Amino acid sequence: MSLDMVRNEVLLSVRDLSVAAEGEGGALRPILDRISFDLAPRQILSVIGESGSGKTVLARTIASWLSAPLTVTGGEVLFRGRDLLADPAHARSLAGREIAYVGGNPAGALDPTMTVGAQLVEKLRAVRPEITPAEAKDKAIRLLSAVRIPAAERRFHEYPFQYSGGMMQRAMIVDALISDPALLIADNITQPLDVTVAAQILKLMRELNAEFSTAILFICSSLPVACDASDEVMVLHQGRVVERQAPAALVTRPGHGYTRALIAELPTLWQGGPEGRDERQKRDQRAIMSVNGVSKAYETRGKSGKALVQAVRDVTFDVFPGDNFGIVGESGCGKSSLMRLLTGLERPDGGTILFEGENVGAASPARLRELRRKFQLVLQDPYGSLPPQSAIGAILEEPLKIHRIGTAAERRERARAVMSEVGLPADIYESLPTGLSAGQRQRLNVARAMILEPRLLIMDETLSALDQTEQGKLLDLFERLQAQHGFTYIFISHDMTMVRQVCSRIAVMYLGETVEVAPSERLFFEPGHPYTRALLSAAPTLEPRRYRPEDCLLDGEPPSPIDLPPGCAFASRCPSVTTRCRAENPALRTRGRQALAACFLVPDPSVTSDEPMEQSDV
Amino acid sequence: MPILRFLVRRLFQGAIIVFLVSALIFTLLRIVPGDPVRLMAGGMAPEALIEQIATEMGLRDPIYEQFGRYVGGVLQGDLGQSFVRPANGAAVGGASFDDSTRSERAKVLDLIAQTAPKTIQLALLAMVFALIIAVPIGVWGGLNPGRLPDRLALYLSSVLVSLPNFWLGIVLALLLSVKLNLLPAIGYKGFAYTILPAFVLALEIAPFIIRNLSVSVAGVMGQNFIDIARVRGLTRNQIIFRHAMKNSAVPLLNLLGVQFSMLLGGVLVIEFIFDYPGLGLLTINAVMQRDFPLIQGIAVVTAAAFVLINIVVDLLATTIDPRLDY
Repeated sequence: MSLDMVRNEVLLSVRDLSVAAEGEGGALRPILDRISFDLAPRQILSVIGESGSGKTVLARTIASWLSAPLTVTGGEVLFRGRDLLADPAHARSLAGREIAYVGGNPAGALDPTMTVGAQLVEKLRAVRPEITPAEAKDKAIRLLSAVRIPAAERRFHEYPFQYSGGMMQRAMIVDALISDPALLIADNITQPLDVTVAAQILKLMRELNAEFSTAILFICSSLPVACDASDEVMVLHQGRVVERQAPAALVTRPGHGYTRALIAELPTLWQGGPEGRDERQKRDQRAIMSVNGVSKAYETRGKSGKALVQAVRDVTFDVFPGDNFGIVGESGCGKSSLMRLLTGLERPDGGTILFEGENVGAASPARLRELRRKFQLVLQDPYGSLPPQSAIGAILEEPLKIHRIGTAAERRERARAVMSEVGLPADIYESLPTGLSAGQRQRLNVARAMILEPRLLIMDETLSALDQTEQGKLLDLFERLQAQHGFTYIFISHDMTMVRQVCSRIAVMYLGETVEVAPSERLFFEPGHPYTRALLSAAPTLEPRRYRPEDCLLDGEPPSPIDLPPGCAFASRCPSVTTRCRAENPALRTRGRQALAACFLVPDPSVTSDEPMEQSDV
Repeated sequence: MPILRFLVRRLFQGAIIVFLVSALIFTLLRIVPGDPVRLMAGGMAPEALIEQIATEMGLRDPIYEQFGRYVGGVLQGDLGQSFVRPANGAAVGGASFDDSTRSERAKVLDLIAQTAPKTIQLALLAMVFALIIAVPIGVWGGLNPGRLPDRLALYLSSVLVSLPNFWLGIVLALLLSVKLNLLPAIGYKGFAYTILPAFVLALEIAPFIIRNLSVSVAGVMGQNFIDIARVRGLTRNQIIFRHAMKNSAVPLLNLLGVQFSMLLGGVLVIEFIFDYPGLGLLTINAVMQRDFPLIQGIAVVTAAAFVLINIVVDLLATTIDPRLDY
């Protein structure tokens, strides 16, 4: 075959590739503008750029997966010397065989009605019909164990819905690699995953690259992840390649203004020393919210009968007036269930939640409504959290009406005042929220929450739907409002860098438990729990890492909250696990200077306690 | 065994449904005007005799007592005897009032057992015809949403759904039986007599299947795993026949369950027009003759069939899509 004769050092060569979106009336809007690059066999090349820079279009063009209104307007994509654009039939024959693609949404990537194994075999036999079903099955199981899916033989026969997000992404990597492709296009593969799982996938990808000698085109929107993952980073800006360098050189000597701006914009965890935002609140005053041993379980009914999901288990912390308190943890750790308990939307099964000395969990519905004037909630989704049919003014006045505050004219005035405070223009008072951007919508949400002049604002992932710049602006707004009104904030978030920027004290949750509560500088510079170290090691940042993922995180996934192990929930992934951890669950214990951690490695408090316990004795 | 638990639960629920249906029918039949004894005994029978027969038959007892007796019989597999039909042949309502051969009247269970197989045969054949007509059109439409095949499927369904079945039945009987002499139409003397009524029924059901399939196929084709299957290297045939069709099957299955139950419950008009000796014809005659035990028996049997078909449909659905819970 002529293909085999082309044995030079370039696997993929993109030459002057231009792609445009066809608008109404045939007008062409350029998406990619004369992109050129080469990819050598076994090389990992990251492509980075903000949303709209054309990264995904580039990935899809190479995978021969462009659909209307996108059209190639020029250039060529040479794979082993043959132009894929000129020969669509040849390109189709390569799809899934020589050129594999893994996308960013593993959840819907396989047919829900067929087992994962059957679909892996089906794919392999579709692109390599000469392989027998038995061989294909062996290979699939071998690869499933290679990507560290536990009990691969059994998992082979399970359905996609029985896989977690991280496992599904591993299965999709197997799906891509099973045909021994020469090129793997990884389009945002870590985006939907939790940071610790994403770190495991990246590590895995590098190992597989060494083992299977596959070249990887790694598309990504986070510069730290891109730098971690690859041999070289190519920066895409407005459809053009602005520079391409090895990661270390890119970070230290960025050649283009856009790259410099990108690097400067990144928040840091450790740079600038341990001093964080800490006003050193007077801890002798009464806590505004005191959470003590709170737990909540939900009943689910599955094929195997009824089961209890232990969403929140024994959560304990205090929040002091004027503080910024952070609650961090990965998806499924019980953050949102905890939020529902803190706001009185649901009642805890056990424990107490005291707001200014009054038990929220046991208050009567009428009393709870009164209490809610003083603590308000701002939600994550800027779109679903606003009624689309109500005018902005009406949305803002509604809380006042519910609590029967003021006359119509006073309410109107109050709403206008709050709008100007959060930076919404006064002339949108009568309009519907339809035309607002995500950032403006979150401002409106904040305005709606603060119109009652609450004392405590609970922010449940309020900023995670916004981009970096908009996040910064809203954080400034929060700070200004805090200075003016003396709000106390609880930030519930999965984003360590955001929490590092704004919070003075932070609780880390893992599988429904608070595993560590500590002031910001202690948590980031001297974490007391191995899980906190794992979170920090996986946080996307360009700084020299204080904690390396290789040292801090074992393979594996969090256990299911239905079927919890008897000992410490983190034991299955903890590098410093002991036999005691597997048998006995450690409780939160103080490790001095206002820090608590639930780990047996923390020295016994009766020996080292140099300070009175900050937390009420549990 | 979750599946056993599922079966026990559903059968128990089904038994309650059948009980409630029969209680309702039983009560209604005795509340509506029209005395069955008058029909049985004939218009000329003296009032005293009618009262006597009615009392002997227990028809003057309180309804709950009558119902209790009836349920007791049903539990022993006895659906009672027809008021009207003799055991030995076709029947007409009470000819003479001094007919005392009550023991010779037909058992309801026998009447149903004679006619139900004909209706099942008709229903199954209608289903097969309907699927043969509707599946290709529906899938074709679903694969090309908004384009010509989809619009053709929609127009065809609109036409079919607006055709009255009695008109279609008569026209087809005229065309195929009378003019072209291809198929027999009236009565039943063999399998060929099922074809024409089944075809008319199929044309009646087909538009529902077409719409259901084209909507669900179009929905499935828009999903991520279909989109990405091509990039994974699967062929178009694999994508359509192994993945898209299978995923569209669950909503279709639910529809087929409902349609099949309705067919079994008696296709009154079609069986009447074609004089097809199935449950539908039996029902019509029973109603016209106020044959309480027979109406009652048909109601119980069809309600039980509804329940069983629904259980089968749900079981099949969970084997197709394992995410569904029993």
